[in-house]
Amino acid sequence: MSNVTEAVPSPGPQGSPAGPRGTTGGWNAVVGYLRGIRDVVVLEMKQRLRSRGWYIMLGIWFVVIAVVTWLTWLAWNATMEARRSVTAMSPQDGAGSMIFEVVLAFVLLFALLVAPALSAHAIDGDRAGGTLAILQITLLTPGQILWGKFCAGWLAALAFLATSAPFLVFGMFQGGLTVGHVVVSLVMLAVELAVVCGIGVGISALAGRPLFSIVVTYLAVAALVVGSLISFGLGSQLAQGTVLANTPQARSVLYAPAQPNQQGQPTEPVQPGYTCGGPLVEHPALRTERVAWMLALNPYVVVADAIPYPDRSGSAFYSAGMIESISQGARSALAGPDHTYLCANGVPQPQYLKQTTPLWPLGLGLQLVLTGLLMWLGWRSLRTPAGRLPRGTRIA
Amino acid sequence: MSIAESSNVPGGGALGVSAEGVSRRFGTVHAVEHIDFHAPAGKVTALIGPNGAGKTTLLLMLASLLRPDSGTIRIDGLDPLRDSAAVRLRIGWMPDTLGVWESLTAREILVQMAHFYRLPQAGIGQRVDELLELVRLDALADQPARVLSRGQQQRLSLARALIHDPSVLLLDEPASGLDPGSRVELRNLLRSLAGAGKAVVVSSHVLSELDEIADGAVFVNQGRTVKQQTLEEAARQGRRYAITALDNQALAVKLGELGLEYRVEAGLRPSVTLLLTHDDGAAALLRELVTAGIGVVSFAPAAGALEETYMNLETERR
Repeated sequence: MSNVTEAVPSPGPQGSPAGPRGTTGGWNAVVGYLRGIRDVVVLEMKQRLRSRGWYIMLGIWFVVIAVVTWLTWLAWNATMEARRSVTAMSPQDGAGSMIFEVVLAFVLLFALLVAPALSAHAIDGDRAGGTLAILQITLLTPGQILWGKFCAGWLAALAFLATSAPFLVFGMFQGGLTVGHVVVSLVMLAVELAVVCGIGVGISALAGRPLFSIVVTYLAVAALVVGSLISFGLGSQLAQGTVLANTPQARSVLYAPAQPNQQGQPTEPVQPGYTCGGPLVEHPALRTERVAWMLALNPYVVVADAIPYPDRSGSAFYSAGMIESISQGARSALAGPDHTYLCANGVPQPQYLKQTTPLWPLGLGLQLVLTGLLMWLGWRSLRTPAGRLPRGTRIA
Repeated sequence: MSIAESSNVPGGGALGVSAEGVSRRFGTVHAVEHIDFHAPAGKVTALIGPNGAGKTTLLLMLASLLRPDSGTIRIDGLDPLRDSAAVRLRIGWMPDTLGVWESLTAREILVQMAHFYRLPQAGIGQRVDELLELVRLDALADQPARVLSRGQQQRLSLARALIHDPSVLLLDEPASGLDPGSRVELRNLLRSLAGAGKAVVVSSHVLSELDEIADGAVFVNQGRTVKQQTLEEAARQGRRYAITALDNQALAVKLGELGLEYRVEAGLRPSVTLLLTHDDGAAALLRELVTAGIGVVSFAPAAGALEETYMNLETERR
């Protein structure tokens, strides 16, 4: 017992590497800040990697996605078999695309289900266990604790994504897709996981009880997935408006090559089937572009819209996959009746929107704003000395 | 600790902990109301009060985790609101909730804490080993904290509070859950830490323990400072002694002859208690009784000095 405290070279205040900031320059401060985050991540990951539940979840995840992939593959083969028996035609495209899309949708679904569980008890769980104050009493800043918790939750979620990557690659090898598709979708899935983890960590910093924060995080995710669709649907009904248009007239010619008009400017690309004529009249229409941002909040829309697909504006016939359909639907909602209504403003509108009006940056931006807001509120609640405490909590 | 550093701080540069007029409420509950508290460096100061008296709230404010609604707190003369990093380096805090990371080993927990305090990498291993030895957890160092008993976790928590060699120690119920041997060790450890110039603040219910450790005590109740006294003052106010004898009848007669006021206590063993103002009186009485041929079996303070004050305060309150 006893004298150890004197014998040890004191890491006391004056020799401290944590001396006043700014004296050693901004770069050291940044490195010090990041080091603190890393220390929190190390602490979190050690705990997560030692809990058996995490591995069980990972195993279940792997098995479920494997089963889904296998069933999709069987279903597709069966469909092709049936189609071949009816027609001699054997459409080769769509195989990889379908498996890829179903797997992608499932991975996103499970990601949205798993990420809250991985992140939403990060801080209030510690608060309940009395270990949060142990972190707060050290030199760690609220930001370091929050970012550390976020990064740890995200890394854990990325492990799930990595487990599902082989199935996306399998879908790719079934044909019709490139490495780019897999890379883009993995990146977007990772970003969506980050969004959900950020929401979860933010809410858990705000909440008093672990169960409450997990429930609220699930509700927030449900709001993004289902609520965005419902509010878009209802919102577009409320966004009644008009669009100036004249009447489409059927054409016998399938396609007219673009010609310069009298002003010497190229005309709009003309869609097959009709021309526009007659006086411009106001038609009732849903001004969906006003509420398209709600649709953009949907993670499925963000991911689907970000994945590239070939420009089909030249071809009259193509089989669009699920991803492409979601993307096209969302983009036409964003374009609004001015660009989608037949003969709006007296101009034939293309049925197919080019990739020049993506929706996902808007959606991702809004999601990041939401996440950032929650993280900021969470950061405020982690500041010490604490002014207000979440209701019903003890600080230690 | 550099004294020069703290003496240029407004407030006189008093080392240790001081709180003046500190208040804190949670909603409508006034947990702490205008408490004054001083714990000088080099001394062990006990914080005593019944459950819910505001001890933990006060310690949380002293530990810079909770902001007081009003009043000022100085840690070695520094303001926790302004110099939080400097204050945190000086504070070692042991919460009443254990709060251990259960899946980490004792060693890993201490290493993590060293990182969080940004101690130089080179010295961490040695420092951790020494602390593990200090709290006698070296044999269990590589067991997950989950398998440690409550008392062992308590000792780990103490080691955790000491990792950065703080100059102020705030210990919330450090003795609870400790076996008698560990209590004695804790007592010696706290004394030696105070001897090394640290300000040690201990909150506890176990008053007889504190008698042996504390240099002074601050009594709080219902969020207020009720009394602040040193142990000498506590001892001077007189203590109740319990005496048992082979023949209690003869004892009672002798005490009556001496004109002392006494009380017969109902207990497992019949005894009498009486209030004696100082130790000399106690010694004289004992001599008197023995020379009178009374078979004194035991002659001891019925309660510790601090307990005496505590019980007096309790009765005053009613």
